[in-house]
Amino acid sequence: MSQVTIANVRKTYGSATIIPDVSLDISDGEFVILVGPSGCGKSTLLRMIAGLEAISGGDIAIGGRVVNNLQPKERDIAMVFQNYALYPHMTVADNMGFSLRLSKVPKAQIAEDVAKAAKILGLTALLDRYPGQLSGGQRQRVAMGRAIVRNPQVFLFDEPLSNLDAKLRVQMRAEIKELHQKLKTTTIYVTHDQIEAMTMADKIVVMRSGVIEQIGAPLELYDHPRNLFVASFIGSPSMNLIHGRVEGGHFVSDGGHRLPLPRATAGLEGRPLVYGVRPEHLALADDGFEVEIAVVEPTGSESHVLARLGDNDLTCVFRERITLRSGDRVRVRPEPDNIHIFDAQSGDRVIQV
Amino acid sequence: MTSTSSSAWARVQDSPWFWLLPAGLFLLVFYTWPLLDVVRLSFTNASLVAPDYDYTFDSYRRVLRDPSTLRTLKVTFLFAGGSVILKLVLGMALALAIDAGVKRGLHGIVLVRTSVLAAWVIPGVVVGVLWKILLSTSSHGLLNYWIQAAFGNSVGFLTDPDIALSTAILANVWRGVAFTMILLYAGLQRIPPELYEAARVDGAGAIARFRFVTLPTLAPVIFIALVLITIGGINTFDLIMALTEGGPARATEVVGLRVYQQVFQFMNLGRGAALAVLLLAVNLLMTLIYLRLLRINRKTD
Repeated sequence: MSQVTIANVRKTYGSATIIPDVSLDISDGEFVILVGPSGCGKSTLLRMIAGLEAISGGDIAIGGRVVNNLQPKERDIAMVFQNYALYPHMTVADNMGFSLRLSKVPKAQIAEDVAKAAKILGLTALLDRYPGQLSGGQRQRVAMGRAIVRNPQVFLFDEPLSNLDAKLRVQMRAEIKELHQKLKTTTIYVTHDQIEAMTMADKIVVMRSGVIEQIGAPLELYDHPRNLFVASFIGSPSMNLIHGRVEGGHFVSDGGHRLPLPRATAGLEGRPLVYGVRPEHLALADDGFEVEIAVVEPTGSESHVLARLGDNDLTCVFRERITLRSGDRVRVRPEPDNIHIFDAQSGDRVIQV
Repeated sequence: MTSTSSSAWARVQDSPWFWLLPAGLFLLVFYTWPLLDVVRLSFTNASLVAPDYDYTFDSYRRVLRDPSTLRTLKVTFLFAGGSVILKLVLGMALALAIDAGVKRGLHGIVLVRTSVLAAWVIPGVVVGVLWKILLSTSSHGLLNYWIQAAFGNSVGFLTDPDIALSTAILANVWRGVAFTMILLYAGLQRIPPELYEAARVDGAGAIARFRFVTLPTLAPVIFIALVLITIGGINTFDLIMALTEGGPARATEVVGLRVYQQVFQFMNLGRGAALAVLLLAVNLLMTLIYLRLLRINRKTD
């Protein structure tokens, strides 16, 4: 079993606290993505799991064994780095077999294991090349090959796709997910890109300032963000957020615009709230509220429309093609099941829709 | 009229010769011409004291027949070889230590770096005099004063023919190790830290990381250091002149020193020039060997 348990882990540099107290359980075979803006502590947490950073407090256990004071090599993990970190003077085969060579595995066995991993990743033709002769995507694949050759308990990925161009990133995303489905090795993956998190993860951990904001399956986070931060971080284009309060069964924005509410709003009257609705949950409807169109962006498959509701910007994503122009007025209506209400002060969600 | 003259000027400016001219002239006057003149003089029997001379192969003949030439060459190779090995090993150790110190944010690293560098900026003659004062067997020798007090006898660092060459090598290494250290330290900065982290995750200990990450990545820098300190070692003159003057019993007489003696003590310009050309040939040969090695090294990369 290769579950990973992180219990009350802290990280401090001198007087600066990077991670105050983080606990997280990762089950065997799970693909977990740590996501958050830069500086949120996600990479630090990953590096602590890898053993590249010391732990200031708490426990990290891999496969039931506390690894706090173990060297990276004793933790039975493999890591893929953002800039690949391939040994430039070794061939692809030597790069992939390096860890086995260090642990004195017989040469024939190394060659066999490397060949097997190379086949999985489509690297067989490149085994005799040097990293300098490879493209970015090929290097990334070699870095993954180096990790899977070892057959570790846990794979750690540190922003592995950040250095690739957009098209390649989409392709590698699918490859990594497919690889995980094939190998079923517990995987912890760090990224700042919420799309990577949404598309690949079994479980997403959203972090901010060293604190876990929410843990959940991708669609759970999308449908039920626990607070304003998660709501605006997950989803693209991000959720529309309008400040206001509840009055007489309606939500009234600070600019005086009335927005529909789904149901019971008892106890919400009076205090400052935030009304959240995702761009794709707004539809053109004659009985909706009126907005003024600022920009129309056709993407082909859908239309992104930036509209104005008083002082608030409102992004809408429509399935249909829009022939409207800037300055036109149009009525839109939010889907009642997909309206989120947050407390403006604490940022926490106040009604579960 | 103005436009044609300015376009002519533009054409002059476009030519690479125009920009190479100042440095080229400088090199021609101060390097090429003296070099060629030394070669010319090596084929004469010129003397510092007699104005007339004839062209002859006699200088070469006598230099090559002289048994002391071979001994001088041997001393030079021992001196240069010993210096190269020690400078590389110690320079690497220092560079690694300072690099580790800087990465851990230790205090006092600047002090260490500055003290090592200080030895480097001191002129060779001064280094020779300093070490002479330190190691002299006479009553003012600092180290021998303590040895005398502790053991009742003294060590002939500079007077024992079996020890003097080692002493000279040590003094040279003390002086020049900073140069190697700077080169290697700069090379170390170019190794991405992720490589070390990847190696740690792959299970490499400190020695394996040095062997599989540091050394191969640093190889080109090591080769450059090798070429430079070999040439420096073979050409050493000032340090030995001040430290031992080639003694005792010519045990530390390197080629550079012998050139000086031929010309300025025996006034024999022709033979000194022939020796100097020999020294040049040795330098060229070593450089060619290194370049060949570097190319082989690149090919295996």
